[in-house]
Amino acid sequence: MVRVYLAFTTNFFPWLTIIVVFPIATGFFIFFLPHRGNKVTRGYTIYICVLELLLTTYAFCYHFELDDPLIQLAEDYKWINFFGFYWRLGIDGLSLGPILLTGFITTLATLAAWPVTRNSRLFYFLMLAMYSGQIGSFASRDLLLFFIMWELELIPVYLLLSAWGGKKRLYSATKFILYTAGGSVFLLIGVLGIGLYGSNEPTLNLEILANRSYPVALEILFYIGFLIAFAVKSPIIPLHTWLPDTHGEAHYSTCMLLAGILLKMGAYGLIRINMELLPHAHSLFSPWLIIVGTMQIIYAALTSPGQRNLKKRIAYSSVSHMGFIIIGIGSITDTGLSGAILQIISHGFISAALFFLAGTSYDRIRHGYLDEMGGLAIPIPKIFTLFSILSMASLALPGMSGFVAELIVFFGIITSQKYFLIAKILITFVMAIGMILTPIYSLSMLRQMFYGYKLFNGVNSYFFDSGPRELFVLISILLPVLGIGIYPDFVLSLSVDKVEAILSNFFIENFHK
Amino acid sequence: MEHTYQYSWIIPFVPLPVPMLIGVGLLLFPTATKNLRRIWAFPSIFLLSIVMIFSFDLSIQQINRSSIYQYIWSWTINNDFSFEFGHFIDPLTSIMSILITTVGILVLFYSDNYMSHDQGYLRFFAYMSFFNTSMLGLVTSSNLIQIYIFWELVGMCSYLLIGFWFTRSSAASACQKAFVTNRVGDFGLLLGILGLYWTTGSFEFRDLFEIFNNLIYNKEVNFLFVTLCAFLLFGGAVAKSAQFPLHVWLPDAMEGPTPISALIHAATMVAAGIFLVARLLPLFIAIPYIMNLISLIGIITVLLGATLALAQKDIKKSLAYSTMSQLGYMMLALGMGSYRAALFHLITHAYSKALLFLGSGSIIHSMEALVGYAPDKSQNMALMGGLRKHVPITKTAFLLGTLSLCGIPPLACFWSKDEILNDSWLYSPIFAIIASFTAGLTAFYMFRIYLLTFEGHLNVRFQNYSGKKGNSFYSISLWGKEEPKSIKKSFPLVALLKRNNNERERTSFFSKKTSRMDTHVTKMPFLTIFPFGPTKTFFYPHESDNTMLFSMLILVLFPLFVGAIGIPFNQEGNNLDILSKLLTPSINLLHQNSNHFFDWYEFLPNATFSVSITFFGIFIAAFLYKPFYSSFQNWNGLNLFTKRVNKSQRVLGDKIINLLYDWSYNRAYIDAFYALSLTQWIRGLAELTHLFDRRVIDGITNGVGITSFFVGEGFKYVGGSRISFYLLVYLFYVLIFFLIIFSFFSLV
Repeated sequence: MVRVYLAFTTNFFPWLTIIVVFPIATGFFIFFLPHRGNKVTRGYTIYICVLELLLTTYAFCYHFELDDPLIQLAEDYKWINFFGFYWRLGIDGLSLGPILLTGFITTLATLAAWPVTRNSRLFYFLMLAMYSGQIGSFASRDLLLFFIMWELELIPVYLLLSAWGGKKRLYSATKFILYTAGGSVFLLIGVLGIGLYGSNEPTLNLEILANRSYPVALEILFYIGFLIAFAVKSPIIPLHTWLPDTHGEAHYSTCMLLAGILLKMGAYGLIRINMELLPHAHSLFSPWLIIVGTMQIIYAALTSPGQRNLKKRIAYSSVSHMGFIIIGIGSITDTGLSGAILQIISHGFISAALFFLAGTSYDRIRHGYLDEMGGLAIPIPKIFTLFSILSMASLALPGMSGFVAELIVFFGIITSQKYFLIAKILITFVMAIGMILTPIYSLSMLRQMFYGYKLFNGVNSYFFDSGPRELFVLISILLPVLGIGIYPDFVLSLSVDKVEAILSNFFIENFHK
Repeated sequence: MEHTYQYSWIIPFVPLPVPMLIGVGLLLFPTATKNLRRIWAFPSIFLLSIVMIFSFDLSIQQINRSSIYQYIWSWTINNDFSFEFGHFIDPLTSIMSILITTVGILVLFYSDNYMSHDQGYLRFFAYMSFFNTSMLGLVTSSNLIQIYIFWELVGMCSYLLIGFWFTRSSAASACQKAFVTNRVGDFGLLLGILGLYWTTGSFEFRDLFEIFNNLIYNKEVNFLFVTLCAFLLFGGAVAKSAQFPLHVWLPDAMEGPTPISALIHAATMVAAGIFLVARLLPLFIAIPYIMNLISLIGIITVLLGATLALAQKDIKKSLAYSTMSQLGYMMLALGMGSYRAALFHLITHAYSKALLFLGSGSIIHSMEALVGYAPDKSQNMALMGGLRKHVPITKTAFLLGTLSLCGIPPLACFWSKDEILNDSWLYSPIFAIIASFTAGLTAFYMFRIYLLTFEGHLNVRFQNYSGKKGNSFYSISLWGKEEPKSIKKSFPLVALLKRNNNERERTSFFSKKTSRMDTHVTKMPFLTIFPFGPTKTFFYPHESDNTMLFSMLILVLFPLFVGAIGIPFNQEGNNLDILSKLLTPSINLLHQNSNHFFDWYEFLPNATFSVSITFFGIFIAAFLYKPFYSSFQNWNGLNLFTKRVNKSQRVLGDKIINLLYDWSYNRAYIDAFYALSLTQWIRGLAELTHLFDRRVIDGITNGVGITSFFVGEGFKYVGGSRISFYLLVYLFYVLIFFLIIFSFFSLV
């Protein structure tokens, strides 16, 4: 009886399918809700989001075993017969963190989007569609399914950007869609190339693909294809220019999703496909990745102080922080990769919170430019406090999650066996220079916004400080940031076995050579 | 009493509830929390007192048993790396924790009154308690990662507290400057930690030292690399302790409230760098280059700080430069390997300087009512003077602090400074000469502060008296002289250092005459409405409230008696003082066979020498900074002496003084240099990358977009659905196809 029950719960009940499909399916009902204004829609959406988050947490708590590096909660249904296309889902330690992050950030972003009143039904539907797309791409175990999910969440972002953005929204939206669609072309080429290699029937199952080997030249070709696709998304310089424009124009709830989750899909893809499927090419490319990552840290940190727009400055800071993920991935050590995964989670929280704060302060002062601000600390002290705390988190203050992630990436680099001493010294040195540049831009941002004294004239002089909703959003982001910073094993323990499993591939390969 | 050690991990966490509660309260229930207000001060003081009792207990046990205790538990578990947390109790820790808690309690007590009218009273207490937490965490940490964590946290507290009055733009830039400068040091610290980890594979101090010394001994390690690591580690200490190249943040940090300056920027946080070097001394001592570098940096800072302190007009900035100079002494002592002297000076200086800062806070508090709240008025020594009779208790406390810092025998700093000077004679005569010379300078600038502040008459009142209404308040000379005519107007500040012999009076501070003169002057009706600020009718500065005076008076006891811990008492044959006894294990670790002899016969001539230098400094100060608004202009025996001085010599002297003044006023041009080189450079670079990003990288993207648009439009225009055009294109492609085939076959 117990066995039957276990079999039922673990194997037969399609948890993941439900988790993936639930938001978009229920999202359709938004259009059938009675026309009673904004309130019903947003309440419904919040309800769906929370339910989804609870569902995910429940499924992961009771049906996922942390010490098993294999795929769990796997589902495998044939979808399109003649093409060999399967609806294949499954999660492991690597995707667990991003999925939970997605649930968390999306729920908070919906809560953050309450002030949106224009065409709110479509807005919330798009949010829910994005929710599905993101979880789907993190949970898919089939390359083509991954690609489809990847594309699925582009459309909502494009629409959210072009309909609810700022003044230059059309330009930004077009730029975004062209960039990402351009990247997707390479992704599609890679997917089909890998799938059709060596057999007449397409093989798209990630498990099977992970154990295959390719001729070096072909592997490098595939690697480059995937790298370009993920580099656009991550972003990796020089393919990053869509990001500041998009973030500068999008509504801040969209920004939260973009910075919190969408960028992480690129990093996730790098680990999931480039590292797992193409280990040989990855060990060839990893020095370049590290160099690019180091340059990115410095380059974006230097570009950031030159920005006048608040959101663009935060956007460049997140470009800079993504450099740490790339370095962690490139270091090919347990430590480095754990650091990269931790940075994915931690930066998801921090950047989402910063964009939310930037958006809410923009709502109050109606100035997007830093040099027009100043003296805001007195009218909005709570936002000031939280902005200070989160800027500190962003500049990797110990006790916050960013610090642990960056520190672990540093250790990943110096314990890496792959590189020579001089190279390691140089890279750590340059990375650490980024550590000096980060406070320069983030603290000067704080100084320009809040410090000083300014008399606000007439109309603008009446500000509300943060209300309970905004405080709730911020504190619920702040708590995990502090929690991870104080006890990082919360997140590290999720992925530690998977990381070892991925890296064992590399050691086997070194052994064979 | 093993369990005292067992529970000592609690030390840093005891004060933590206060900032957490206040923080949560201010965010969620602001009104209720603010209504409680002063009640919040009690738990913070109470909790810190618990820690103080605890650390006293610990150090008594350390004296009796001199044991080192360490306890560790793991932070992250992974196969490849594990970080551990732990606490490490040794004499250094117990000394530092006593220092932090005693000064901390007094400062908290003091600031209850000092900040009582401030909007941010609660915020202040939250920051302070958080600072205490992180500082206690820093001194009890058992490995380098933990040190780094708390190192950054104290830096952040310092940032928040410097920027406490965030509406002042000067405070806003000062706190950013402090944080970024400290980050430069942290950059070094982090890289040093990583490098050491790479060489030794450990963060724990004791393992680290053991492995490291073995490696050095067996020459298994690249010496250059290790030196680089040690240098980078030292960089962290340089920034935190405001040593020479990275000292720029400390004077600016005086923008924070004065209790902060007493606690953080004089007694505890700036001593963290000294603490770090002392902690890692077993490591540094293996590398002679680094030891030399440490003492070199130390001596440069000693001299630079002292010369910069000479002509500051802000009382707190003067004290800040003095702190910097004294920290240089400690660094010098560490570089010479005299661990005990450095720690001794650390303790004595911390108490004396905290006392001085609290005194200056009291002065500022009393001046604020008179001249307004802008720091360049209320802290301006040019506007003070004659406070002796208005704030007598503060004056006594301040004088004691000054005397202690100058090194007048029975007071604390005398013993420690003398020890450092003695050791420096053994180390290198040049360093010793500079150090002794600076001891004289110390006496000079400290008495300059004292005389300008307390002697003479209240200068605010005397702006009209001097007959120079048109001038700004700068006309009140900081150098105690009237403005001469030979100075160009374009350097208004140079004017401050001119001499005028007529207004010199006999050495004042023991003179009875001045008081007679005071009574004469104070009879005049002081109803002048002074030229800036609103018209207030405060006539005299008032003495501060009892709370402030109480903590100052308690703190007075420390400079009086703290010296005793380092003075050897001849008890039953063993010539050991408390400090040596406490530090025996650490000293033994450093010098395997050093027997510390204390010889009174050797001690006396050295002491006499240093005291005489000090008195010389005091004498010069008294000579130059006579209160110059005196009605007895021609009453001066010294005039006879000065009138004999040659005219040309006087010009030369003026030039030297001008030079010195410029040097000091412009902060040795180092700030300007950094502003010009680094800041401009980074700004330029940022501008450049921004342009590059927009024009080149984004430009390519936009260019591609626009080109494709035009190509599409062009095709639309050219195509225009005409058959002839399609035929043309068709033929064209056929032609190309044939050409390719043709060339292909011809090649084959």
